[in-house]
Amino acid sequence: MTAFIVRRLAFVVLVLTAVSMLVFTITSLLPANVAYLILGSFAPPEQVKALELKLGLTDPIWQQYIRWATGFLSGDLGESPLLKRPIAPMLWEAVSRSLMLTGFSFVLIALIGIGLGLLAALRHGRTLDHGISVATYLGIAVPEFFWSIIVIIVFASWLGWLPASGYEPMSEGVWVWFKHLIAPTMTLVFGHLAHVSRLTRSSMIEVMQSPYVNAARAKGLPERVVVMRHALRNALLPTITVLALDFGRLMGGIVVVETVFAYPGLGRLVVFSIQNRDLPTLQAAILVVAAIYAFANLIADLLYAWLNPKIRFGVHVN
Amino acid sequence: MPLQLKAGLLITALIIGLSVLAPWIAPHPWDTISMRTRFLPPNSIYWLGTDEYGRDVLSRLLMGGRLSLMMGVSATLVSLVIGVPMGLAAGYFGGWIEEGLMRLADVMMAIPPIMLGLLVLAVTPPALWKTAVAVGFVYIPPIARLTRSVTLTLAGEDFVQAARARAESPTYILFREILPNAWPPLIVEASLRVTYAILLGSALSFLGLGAQPPSSDWGLMIAEARSFLDRAPWLALAPGFAMCALVIGINLIGDGARERLDPRLKARVGKSV
Amino acid sequence: MAKFIFGASIAAALSIASWSGPVTAQGTLRVALGTTLTQLDPALTTIGDEYVYVHLLFNGLSKINPDMTVSPDLAESWTASEDLKTWTFKLRSGVKFHHGKTLDADDVIATIQRILDPKTGSRARTNLSMVESVDAVDPLTVRFKLSVSYAGFADIFADRQTRIVPKDRIDELSKTPVGTGPFVFKSWSPGDRLELTKNPDYFNKGLPKLDAVTLRIIPESAARLAALESGAIDILWSMPYESVDKVKANPNLRADSVATPTWDGVILNNAIPPFNDVRVRKALALTVDKAAIVELALFGQGDPTFSPIPPSHPYFNKKLKFNPPNIEQAKKLLAEAGYPNGFDVAMQVPQEREQRVRVGVAVRDMAKAAGIRIEVQRVPFASYTANVAGKAPMYVDGYFARPTVDTAVYPFYHSGGSWNNQLWLYKEKRVDELLDAARKTNDDKLRAELFGTFQELVEETVPSIIAYSAAHVNGVSKKVEGFRSTPMQWLELAPVSIKP
Repeated sequence: MTAFIVRRLAFVVLVLTAVSMLVFTITSLLPANVAYLILGSFAPPEQVKALELKLGLTDPIWQQYIRWATGFLSGDLGESPLLKRPIAPMLWEAVSRSLMLTGFSFVLIALIGIGLGLLAALRHGRTLDHGISVATYLGIAVPEFFWSIIVIIVFASWLGWLPASGYEPMSEGVWVWFKHLIAPTMTLVFGHLAHVSRLTRSSMIEVMQSPYVNAARAKGLPERVVVMRHALRNALLPTITVLALDFGRLMGGIVVVETVFAYPGLGRLVVFSIQNRDLPTLQAAILVVAAIYAFANLIADLLYAWLNPKIRFGVHVN
Repeated sequence: MPLQLKAGLLITALIIGLSVLAPWIAPHPWDTISMRTRFLPPNSIYWLGTDEYGRDVLSRLLMGGRLSLMMGVSATLVSLVIGVPMGLAAGYFGGWIEEGLMRLADVMMAIPPIMLGLLVLAVTPPALWKTAVAVGFVYIPPIARLTRSVTLTLAGEDFVQAARARAESPTYILFREILPNAWPPLIVEASLRVTYAILLGSALSFLGLGAQPPSSDWGLMIAEARSFLDRAPWLALAPGFAMCALVIGINLIGDGARERLDPRLKARVGKSV
Repeated sequence: MAKFIFGASIAAALSIASWSGPVTAQGTLRVALGTTLTQLDPALTTIGDEYVYVHLLFNGLSKINPDMTVSPDLAESWTASEDLKTWTFKLRSGVKFHHGKTLDADDVIATIQRILDPKTGSRARTNLSMVESVDAVDPLTVRFKLSVSYAGFADIFADRQTRIVPKDRIDELSKTPVGTGPFVFKSWSPGDRLELTKNPDYFNKGLPKLDAVTLRIIPESAARLAALESGAIDILWSMPYESVDKVKANPNLRADSVATPTWDGVILNNAIPPFNDVRVRKALALTVDKAAIVELALFGQGDPTFSPIPPSHPYFNKKLKFNPPNIEQAKKLLAEAGYPNGFDVAMQVPQEREQRVRVGVAVRDMAKAAGIRIEVQRVPFASYTANVAGKAPMYVDGYFARPTVDTAVYPFYHSGGSWNNQLWLYKEKRVDELLDAARKTNDDKLRAELFGTFQELVEETVPSIIAYSAAHVNGVSKKVEGFRSTPMQWLELAPVSIKP
């Protein structure tokens, strides 16, 4: 197992290196001019040239990449030419806010998703089952941006229960801080429930029909014990794998949700730096997202391998 | 035929039919501004009301359906055209070819689809076809992975072994023996991918990097309707529900079809999707 | 330094208040802006959201009142020589910067020289390009020597970028800005909020009335409006026009509207085909119904105009008429210019500015009738400088109110004007002569005449299509007292107070 983990970890590092190259290449194609961003649009051309030379923007791209990557590894993310401040603190602040949002959503997705899946499986084929599957279908089908608009209208405009957008630090009061998390969290949870609940449902149904559960029933154990102790524990194994993957997906989902709710996290930082052509910030932000994403996938892989020992021994199953 | 498959086919066929016929059945021009008919709620002349430019929402919805469908289908075609050969090669040849291709897919999958889409699109002036290409590009890896795992399964089957024994060329084996048998799960997956593509494409349009006004792409319609949610909620609700219906319809087909597939194949393939 | 500590202790008191009590600290006004600030250095600011901040933290030598008249601010008075080439400003004494330093002539000189230095890259440089030298007569007197006669020179110092900054803190302006204004910088978290506290030493005694101001960045317009409705903010700066009716209907809110010289229009590149031919530009103009654009883009909150001079201004040419579209004539002109079947052209619109997107969509539809087939492309506003301005054949843009007619017109229409060379590259000798003449006279009647002719010439030669002068509307909670929107579109918050 250790060898497997080490191999996977090394692989993640390789992937991230490749991602950084990909991102660096794409962003350097962006129609933008960092020198103009720094100097303002009224800078004389000679001065722009001079700064370009100084910043090394005229060097071949691989040299620029190596310089950037060495800086990144030594913890120097550089300065945003647009906002004129160091990127690192800005980025970590955004990351911590996004993790708060995704963390909350993740816990709720796990709890509600498994709960709904379990309920649906136990009422297999009955009205409640159909109701739950229709609701989770809606979760997949309603685009996040449409759902977030409905949340704003209903909970902020009509009912006035929640703030329409934004973020308040915890120093403004825990309740105030929490209130700003509710609407975006609702949007994220609704959009991601379906995977978990559907998978829980189907594996639960499979397990409930297995000889193993029948044996437990035959022993005369009460149904509640059969379900919770024997069936659920086994049925949850694939769900756990999917949950880890979902955490990565959430990092993608926050782009839209943070934009609509004006939540100053990582997703908004990415959109902001794309729109404003703030390349250094963009490169750093995407790499961080990719790292979180890659580690979520790694954890999913490890869990999957741990649950299905066959996988460890090679890629070719047959 | 199971109920959900029937329902899915019905919904999807209805939307496709209406969209294809849109230029002929749309009751009003979709892009002509009319100062006297702005913000009319749904009524007997404008069944779904009119928008801020006085344009008929129903006509726009119908025309927009074409765009959404075309975007979803062509994006999926892009992923199929590139992803399927990648997966076939990886699954059949194994070794460094497989390593190389699959690791490439891993790199692409390490960036969330929407961010990869934003990055790719930010490089050029926006246009809907570029969105389709970008979305197709983003969804190559899952197609490649699925194809690979189906190929792996089929490569062990007797008829492929037989073809190998006859010393057929790899091209023949891949495209004549394996591919025809790999189609069923691929088609199911592709149909589901269409919905992902539609959702991602409309999210990109929503963020301003896809369809351009006055186009009536559904994502763009919703984005534009945001400013008028109180005054004219029908502007957001019409395309919103239309998109939900389309996605649900396609999902129902995909799921229904998946359940009818060879359960053995499903068990092996399902995990890597 | 003592002042600084005092400011900090107020801030501390405020945050303690917000810990224990309700969300709103006593006397904190919360304002929502739509776009994040990218600059805290006043000389480098470029967008309206930044100007709001600049106006709260800094003062100019002169200021513009809500009725567009100019009066002294940091200067106590000024005098000009007979030939309008030497200007002497007497500074107000005892004005303190937020860090405790007393304002003197050296600060003014440092501010101006910095703007004049091309390396600074300030937009205001072109407005001050006639400055030949600036020196201190005594610690409270500054003298400017100009290369040309310039009647409106004192007015320029009311503009945003020319606000006076302290000589000893210039290097820190982009991180910890220090000014003389009614509010003191407290903190800035990019993309989220800017926090300001009261300046207890503000030279206008008794002001400001508020304890603090928070500027919040909320990009989503629906979210901005919802925040106003829910009471999370008190003033929605420059609210979306489509929501004015809704705010008016709300018993807790009011929509405070004022006519401004701020304009939007379709910028045509006069140097490259197809719009280098005046017949093509005219043909396009003939398809445009400006009154309809005001309805579509502004929901009626504005007025059609010919040039950056708004209908509310005394210099506006009332003899000129807005003619209804004439498609036949437009087609004829196009045919003469060699486009009998019309042509295809792309038009960029800034994706973050919804009303300008709507101008684009409206013009596209109107031009279609004459065979001008426009493809609308929404692009980030940030890419305008790099890719659009001066390069694209046509795009939609707009400019904020400027302190004087001269600064609103000269840089845009004079063949040597800085903006002209970035936007439409328009060269018309008759216009150059008119604008130069207007700079040399203080006679209001003559100036009105000159600018009247200028508007006729612009209608005749169509450098671009200025669609309208937009109104500036703020959504305001009825708890806010003493607030009035101003044509310059910044916020006058010093006299404002808030009911608990």
